[in-house]
Amino acid sequence: MNEHWTDRLSEYLDGELPDSERAVAEQHLASCPECQELLNDLRAVKTRAASLPSSQPAHDLWPGIAERIGRSAMVRPISTAPSKRRISFSMPQLAAAAVLVAVCSGGAAWLMRGELAPEAAPSQPIAAAPAPVRPLAARAVARQIPGPSTPSYASAVSELEQVLAEHRGQLDSTTVRVLEQNLAVINQAVADAQAALARDPQNAYLSNHLARTMQQKVALLRQAASLAAQS
Amino acid sequence: MATLPDEPDTSRWSAEAADVTLAAAGDAGAFERLYRAQVARIHALCRRMLSADEADEATQDVFVRAWEKLGTFRGESAFGTWLHRLAVNVLLGRRAAHGLRRERYHDGDDIFASVSARHDSPELSVDFEGAIGALPEGAREVFVLHDVEGYRHEEIAGMLGVAVGTSKSQLHRARMALRQYLDR
Repeated sequence: MNEHWTDRLSEYLDGELPDSERAVAEQHLASCPECQELLNDLRAVKTRAASLPSSQPAHDLWPGIAERIGRSAMVRPISTAPSKRRISFSMPQLAAAAVLVAVCSGGAAWLMRGELAPEAAPSQPIAAAPAPVRPLAARAVARQIPGPSTPSYASAVSELEQVLAEHRGQLDSTTVRVLEQNLAVINQAVADAQAALARDPQNAYLSNHLARTMQQKVALLRQAASLAAQS
Repeated sequence: MATLPDEPDTSRWSAEAADVTLAAAGDAGAFERLYRAQVARIHALCRRMLSADEADEATQDVFVRAWEKLGTFRGESAFGTWLHRLAVNVLLGRRAAHGLRRERYHDGDDIFASVSARHDSPELSVDFEGAIGALPEGAREVFVLHDVEGYRHEEIAGMLGVAVGTSKSQLHRARMALRQYLDR
C-alpha cells in the first residue's frame, strides 16, 4: 500500500485526477491489492451514500409551519397599477395558467351542472338512483363531461386567446413560445383526464373537490390576465 | 449539483407548477401540497447535516423560508432542486447563526476516533446512517453534500467557504472512516 495513492483514491474514484496522474494511479492499482481493496471500499461507501432513503419525520411538521406562515397565508395582492414593461412569466407560471384555464373552467362547469342536475348530486347515493337507471357512463356523457365543447370551457379558452392576441406585443417572445408549447401539453393532459373521468364517472367527490380547488386557481389566472391587459 | 430526475408524469409536473404559482400568490393549501411532496427529502437532509434532534425545527425553518422566497423562484430548475438548494443555505445560515465556528476541518486521525468513540459498545449495531451522524461536523457536511446529495466540490467549497482541496480531503477522510460501517 502506498500512502500517496491511498490519500488520492477518492479523487481517482470521482474522476478528478488529471489524466497523467490517473494513468500512474492505475498502474499502481494493478500491482497493489491493498489499494485495490481500499478503492472498492470507498466505491461501496459512495454507492451506499447515494442510495440512502429519505424518510418522513416522526410526526407531522405542517401544523407548526402553518402557524408560522399564518399571518402571511392570505392571497398576496397583485398590483394592478399600469406598467409599460414587457411582461414575462416564468415557465411554471405559464404552465399553471394554461392548466388552470383548461381544467378550472371545465371543473367549474362540471360543478355547476352538478348543481343544476340534482339527480347527479354527489350526496345522492348512486345505488338510490331511480330505475330505469342508465349506465353510469351514459349518465356522465349526458352531463357533458367538461371538454372543448363545454360552453364555459370554450369561452374561457377563447377569452385567454383573445387576451394573448391583444397583448402579444407586450409579452416576451420566449414567454409566448413557452406558453404555446405548454398549452399543447395541457390540452393532451386534459384529454387524458376526460378519458379517465369517462371511465370513472361516479367519483363525484373527487370531481367536486377538484372543481372547488380549480375555482380558486381560476381567480388567480384572472388576476394575471387582468395585469397583462392593463399593461 | 445533482438535479431531480426529469418528471415524466406531465400531469404531476403541471400540478406542481400550478401549486408553486398558487403558493407564491399566498395559497397556503397549495403550499401544503408542496410540503407534503418534498418534506421527506428535506427532513433527511436536515437530519444528516445537523442531527436528529435538530431536524424537525430545521425542516420547519426551511419551509417557512421557502414560503417567504417563493416569489423569487423563476422555474429555471425543478421546484425540488430550488427548494433543496434553499434548504442547504438555511442550514448553513443556521450553523453560522448559532456560532458554530469551532475547528471544523480535521486533518488528524481523530476523525476515526470520533466515529468509533460514539459507538464503542459492541452491543450497539452501528448502522451507516448513525456513523454519518458521528462524523466531525465539517467532514459530515462535505460527505452529505457530495456523496448523498450530489453537489460538486466546487459548489461545496463555495457554500462552505473553504478551498476545493479542503472539500476533497474532508470527503476522503469521511469515506475512510465510514467504510467500516458498510453493510457487508
